[in-house]
Amino acid sequence: MNLAAQIDDASFTHSGATTPALDHVSLDIARGEIIALLGPSGAGKTTLLSLLDGRLRGWLGRVSVFGTPLDPDKAPPRDLRPDTGFVFQEFALVERSTVLRNVLNGRLGRMSALRAVLGSHTANDLRVAQDALADCGIDDLAHRRVDSLSGGQRQRVAIARCLAQEPRLILADEPVSNLDPTRAAEILTLLTEAARARGATVAFSSHQPELARRFAQRIIGMRGGRIAFDVPTQELTDTATAELYRDAAQMAPIGLRAVP
Amino acid sequence: MRSRQFGSLMTAAGIAGVVLWSFVTTDVELSRMVSAGPRIADFLGRMFPPDTTVMNEIIKGSAETLRIAILGTLGAVVLSVPIGLLASETMVPPACYRVVRTLLAFVRAIPLILVAMLMVGAVGLGPLPGIIAIAFHATGMLAKFYAEAIDGVSRPPLAALESAGAGPLARLRHAIWPQMAPVVARDTIFRFELNLRESLILGIVGAGGIGFYIQTYVRSFQYDKAASVTIAVIVMVVAIEALNVVLRRRFS
Repeated sequence: MNLAAQIDDASFTHSGATTPALDHVSLDIARGEIIALLGPSGAGKTTLLSLLDGRLRGWLGRVSVFGTPLDPDKAPPRDLRPDTGFVFQEFALVERSTVLRNVLNGRLGRMSALRAVLGSHTANDLRVAQDALADCGIDDLAHRRVDSLSGGQRQRVAIARCLAQEPRLILADEPVSNLDPTRAAEILTLLTEAARARGATVAFSSHQPELARRFAQRIIGMRGGRIAFDVPTQELTDTATAELYRDAAQMAPIGLRAVP
Repeated sequence: MRSRQFGSLMTAAGIAGVVLWSFVTTDVELSRMVSAGPRIADFLGRMFPPDTTVMNEIIKGSAETLRIAILGTLGAVVLSVPIGLLASETMVPPACYRVVRTLLAFVRAIPLILVAMLMVGAVGLGPLPGIIAIAFHATGMLAKFYAEAIDGVSRPPLAALESAGAGPLARLRHAIWPQMAPVVARDTIFRFELNLRESLILGIVGAGGIGFYIQTYVRSFQYDKAASVTIAVIVMVVAIEALNVVLRRRFS
């Protein structure tokens, strides 16, 4: 089994929504792949990533992650949770805690329940966290409180926390949407390099086709909850991208965006 | 339009009726009402000059009031942490937090002085009934505040820790607690200030503290001594207020 994840005919509608966020989506992700999800707001990218992270309930279809089938009505088994790491678009950091504390939070799923509650980290936990900080270039910020950091620094902390989890599948929800183009490229470079060094699979969503082309081996276009195309990066045409964003304003009324 | 006019007429008649009923049925003669002003003035006159020989009693009573407030607040915090968890939408299902919140509303509705009187009956005179009464009464407010502090935290960090595989208690410790800690500190200080203020009068029903001396001196017509104790209470209230301003600045 060399698949990181397998989605077979998955559908999902957010409560209160009339149109499905995922509409009969099927997708295989091979281990070690770096995949970009492209598409306008409301296309279902966040929902698809959340589904793989095991945080959606009440979906239809079949989904398995590293060979373990997910239950649509239950949280995934505890030992599977740390295997999928999620980088949240709005960072989702504990603002009043230090950078190191936030990164160590990524270790909680790898610890015994008692140790996790007490926050009694082992030397190994600290080493993994330090490595993650170093890979993200923020070792000097370890003891700063998150609420004193800039947006770019916060994004690095969010990625470091995800890496500290030692995930085998990294799901990054628009990890660079809040950053200027130079910073965006820096962040995606460190994310993909850290993932390669750890042998992890990556799926990241983005609005920017040029970033997808530059960092992904495979690009999946989404529109209206469906997969519009699924191609190796070199086969992506400008026409396909343009088609994806056609009437983008109409496709994504404000308020339809999936909230993690 | 007509029915609205009729409604306000009925309301006015109702209010007039209640006021009239109070006047007629209260057993106070007009002459006593008229002479109340001069009598109060006379009473206040007899309070002066305040008798300063009661300094020892004031210090003893104040210290006991302070102890009651500190131990009562401690008791309330100890009770409010688990009860607050059980009253929070984040940590428990609706069936649990609705019941706990309703019970807390009842606890809040019982006046402290009534709880103190009942506790004096149950465990006898002294500071112990005061401490128990304060702990019980303050829990009604503090547990609600703690629950609201839990429910008021930013949610995305919770989702992030859930995604990382942290259980509910680990999420409480590492994502909720750092966010709610300043709110808990602020609420606890606020409640301590109220406890100190309210425990000043607990002695009147025999539940310990400086209030005991006010009651004793008034009953034995030693108004000059009562005046000294009253001034001490006012000084303490002002001091509490000042301390609170400082603490609030520190924790906001």
